[in-house]
Amino acid sequence: MHDTDPRFVAGRGVRTPTSGLVDYADDDPTAFASMLGGLIEANVESRPEKMRDFKRLAALVGIWVTDIDEGVTLHFQGGKLTVHNGLTPKRTITIRSDAETVMSLSNLKIGILGLPVYYDEVGRGVAGKLLRGKLKIEGMLPNVMTLNAVTRVFSVQ
Amino acid sequence: MTVKAFSAEWAEAFKDEVNKSDAYKAAGKGWKWTVGLVVEAEPDKHFAESRGIVMDLFDGEARDIKVGAADDAQKCDFVITAPYSRWKQVATKELDATRGMLQGKLKLKGDLPTIVRYTKASQEMTECTTRIPVSWPDEG
Repeated sequence: MHDTDPRFVAGRGVRTPTSGLVDYADDDPTAFASMLGGLIEANVESRPEKMRDFKRLAALVGIWVTDIDEGVTLHFQGGKLTVHNGLTPKRTITIRSDAETVMSLSNLKIGILGLPVYYDEVGRGVAGKLLRGKLKIEGMLPNVMTLNAVTRVFSVQ
Repeated sequence: MTVKAFSAEWAEAFKDEVNKSDAYKAAGKGWKWTVGLVVEAEPDKHFAESRGIVMDLFDGEARDIKVGAADDAQKCDFVITAPYSRWKQVATKELDATRGMLQGKLKLKGDLPTIVRYTKASQEMTECTTRIPVSWPDEG
């Protein structure tokens, strides 16, 4: 793959953001880092309501995918995102789950008051995994508002 | 009866499997883009030349699936590229396609939010490939 726009590429070794909204802390971002960075960048560029959240969001969010043993840390800095390979210290929230569930999180619908919808099929699946411990969110309770904002920025719905 | 991996007969069987799948019909509703799969050559695995699979998918239906040159597949709206042996792992359920993409084992080109929205459809397409009895060139 030789594309330079990470929104359109999810391959190991692809980097260099174009919009300036997202950058990568590592010289060689993992495929997962490129994919999440690209996804968020495309989301906020195309949806003004997501851009508003993105500009307000300041948090260090870790995502660890248990079945591929890889993770990233998303450092939101009020209108800018730096994606780190792996988990960095002092995270506000850390999400741990398998690849399928992580993709489900990005498919959560956003309902009234900007809250994620947990009563449709995707939402019930996510909530069920949370209750069964297959989705773990460390730091959730004191940071519910931040988690909701991250979900809005992350969701493609 | 088995079909040769990534041959014209395989493409026909794949199309039939996709169109038989109610799960794909539901999950692929609204999809209107072409998808190209690039199967990169691995001469040591007796897969000498790269091939492209061009899939014309529309609204939960596979209108056409053809095997041709890798260049043809690269012109599609979404392109997934991997060497022959990786695709074999996907088709034999050794490698989950979602995990493969997150790990960079399958390289994806295309609008990410769109493909993420259709994760379920792509999972079902992968399931369809696993239902085709295939003879693999590197297995005698």
